[in-house]
Amino acid sequence: MHPILKDRRTLALYLLAWLAPGLTLATLMATTAKAPWGGAICFSLPAMIVYAFMSLSSWYVCRAFPLPGTDLAKTLSSLFFAALLSSALWLLACYAWASALEWMQPGLAPRERYMDSLPLLASFGVGLFLIAAAVHYLIESLESARRTERNALELQVLARDAELKALRAQIDPHFLFNSLNSISALTSTDAAAARTMTLMLADFLRMSMNFGGLEMIRLEQEIALVRHFLEIEKVRFGNRLVVQTEIGAGTLSARVPPLLLQPLVENAVNHGIAQIPDGGHLLLRTESDGGSLRLLIRNPVDPGRTKPRGRGMGLTIVRRRIERLYGSGGNLDVQETGGNFVAVLTIPHQV
Amino acid sequence: MRVIIVDDEDLARGIVREYLASHLDIRIVGECSNGFDAVKAITESKPDLLFLDIQMPKLNGFEVLDLLDPRPRVIFVTAYDSYAIKAFEVNAIDYLLKPFSRERFEKALLRVAGKEGDEPQDAVDNLIRSNRSLNAPIERILVRDGSRVHVIPSPMVDHIEAQDDYVSIHSGGKKYLKLERLSDLEAALDPKRFVRIHRSHIVNIERLVRLETYAKDSRIVVLNDGTKLPVSRPGYEKLKGLL
Repeated sequence: MHPILKDRRTLALYLLAWLAPGLTLATLMATTAKAPWGGAICFSLPAMIVYAFMSLSSWYVCRAFPLPGTDLAKTLSSLFFAALLSSALWLLACYAWASALEWMQPGLAPRERYMDSLPLLASFGVGLFLIAAAVHYLIESLESARRTERNALELQVLARDAELKALRAQIDPHFLFNSLNSISALTSTDAAAARTMTLMLADFLRMSMNFGGLEMIRLEQEIALVRHFLEIEKVRFGNRLVVQTEIGAGTLSARVPPLLLQPLVENAVNHGIAQIPDGGHLLLRTESDGGSLRLLIRNPVDPGRTKPRGRGMGLTIVRRRIERLYGSGGNLDVQETGGNFVAVLTIPHQV
Repeated sequence: MRVIIVDDEDLARGIVREYLASHLDIRIVGECSNGFDAVKAITESKPDLLFLDIQMPKLNGFEVLDLLDPRPRVIFVTAYDSYAIKAFEVNAIDYLLKPFSRERFEKALLRVAGKEGDEPQDAVDNLIRSNRSLNAPIERILVRDGSRVHVIPSPMVDHIEAQDDYVSIHSGGKKYLKLERLSDLEAALDPKRFVRIHRSHIVNIERLVRLETYAKDSRIVVLNDGTKLPVSRPGYEKLKGLL
C-alpha cells in the first residue's frame, strides 16, 4: 500500500502540494500558449490532480530499483521509461479532459490550445514524475535511517538483557565443583565444617542469583557476596589464601552495579593465588573521597604463568559495563608490578 | 599396588586417601601438592598408579605426565574441563569428575587394574599432544633432569637438535635432553620465531648472525655464539620467507 494513500491527512496534504505545479502549468499555458486564464485553470488543476495520483506509481519503480543500486544505468533508464510511459498516459487523459471541457464549455479550452501546449505538458509530465521519484527516494532513505537507529537501540537493549541473564547464571564451574568436592571431603572428617560450607555455598549462590537481576545494590551487599566467596575458597586453599579487607569510611552505603567486584576477586584467586604453590595475600580495599569510589584488589601473581585458556572475558565485561553505565566517569585500571597484580575500579560515588 | 596422589588441594587428596583406605593391597607412597614435587616423587618412588589432578599451579597434570619416563598408569581427576574431558573420551582414558562417589572411584580403579600389561601409551601420548596443540604456541619448554624439572622460556632457546628419540635443547650455553620428537616441538613452537632449517635442526631466528653459501645446495647459518648449523633446501626456503 502506498504510504501516502494510507493516511487521509497525508493524502490531502499531498494533493494540496500538487496545486502548485497545477497553477504553474496554468500560468505557463496562459502565457506561452495564449490560453485564457479561466480555461487554463479549469484544465490544469484537474489534470494535475490526476497526475498526482498517476505519479504515485513512481513509488513502485523506486521500490523495484532501490538506491544505492547495483546498476545505476538500469535504474535511470527504467525511471525515464516509466516517466515517459506515465506522461504518455497522462497526455492521453489530458486530451480526453480537454475534449470533455470543449464539449462542456466550448471555447473555454479549445483542443488547439491543448495541441500547442503539448510540449509543455510533456515536459511537465516527465519532469514531475522524476521529481516524484526523487521525493520517494528521499522518503525511503529517511525511513531506512530511522529503522537503522531503532535496530541499534533494540540491539543494545537485547545485549544488556543477555548480559544480565548471563551474570545471573554465571557461576564459575571450577569453583562450584571444587567447593562441592571439599564439602564431600569434610563430610567424613569434619561434619560440622561440611555443614557450614554447604550453607555458605548456598548463600553465595542465592546472593549471586538475586543480585544479578538488580540494577544497583549497596556496596555492603557486594562485599558480603565477595566475603562468602572468599570464605569458601579459604576452605579449599587452606593457608594458601590469606584475605585482608580494608573498608573505607562511608563506602558501604554506596550504590554500585551488582557483580562488579566479584569477577575481579575470582580472577585474583584463579589466576593469581591458585597459580602459586604457596599462595599469598589477597587485599581488598574500598575508599571514597566523596565524589569517586575507589575499589582496589591486589594479589600476587606468577610472572611466568601460562595464559588462561578461553578465560579472560571477566575484565572485558566489567570494563564494558562501567563504560555503559558511567561513560568516561568510570574506569578500570590494571597493573602488574613486582610480582603483584593490582586492579583498581573507580566509579562515581552514588547514594 | 603403589600409588601417588597429586592434587594441590589437601581436602581433595583426603578423599582419595579415604577411599583407598579399605584397599589393603594398595599403599600410598606419596602425596604431592604441585607438579615439581610430583615429578620428583614419581621419579624416585616409581609408583604403579597415579591419581593426577589436572589444574595445578605452575605445572599442570599433562605437563607432569609428559616429563615422566617411564609413565605409570594414571587416573585423571578434574572438577571441570570440557577440553580435557573430550580428550579423555576420545582416547578412552580413565578420569574422575569432582566430586565423585566411592562407586565411581572403585569402577575407575578396576578399569586401571584390569589394564595389567596392556599399556595404552599411545592414548596418553595423543592426549598430551592434543593438549600441547591447544596451548600452542608454547611459551616454555619443560625438561626433566633426573628428578628435577627445568623450565626453559621459549625466548631463551637458542637451537634444538634431534638425537634419535631425544632432542637436545641448547639454551644459554647449556644442553638439555628431552624425550621428544623434533617435529612435535616444531609444531608447538612459535613459527615466527623458530624455524626448522634442517631435518635435525630447529633454530631461533633471533640468534642468527649470517647465512653462508658454499655450493648450490650447501648452506650453513652462523649463530651469535659461533655455532654453525646446516641448512637444507626446504629449510632455506623457509628462512627466505621469514627474513
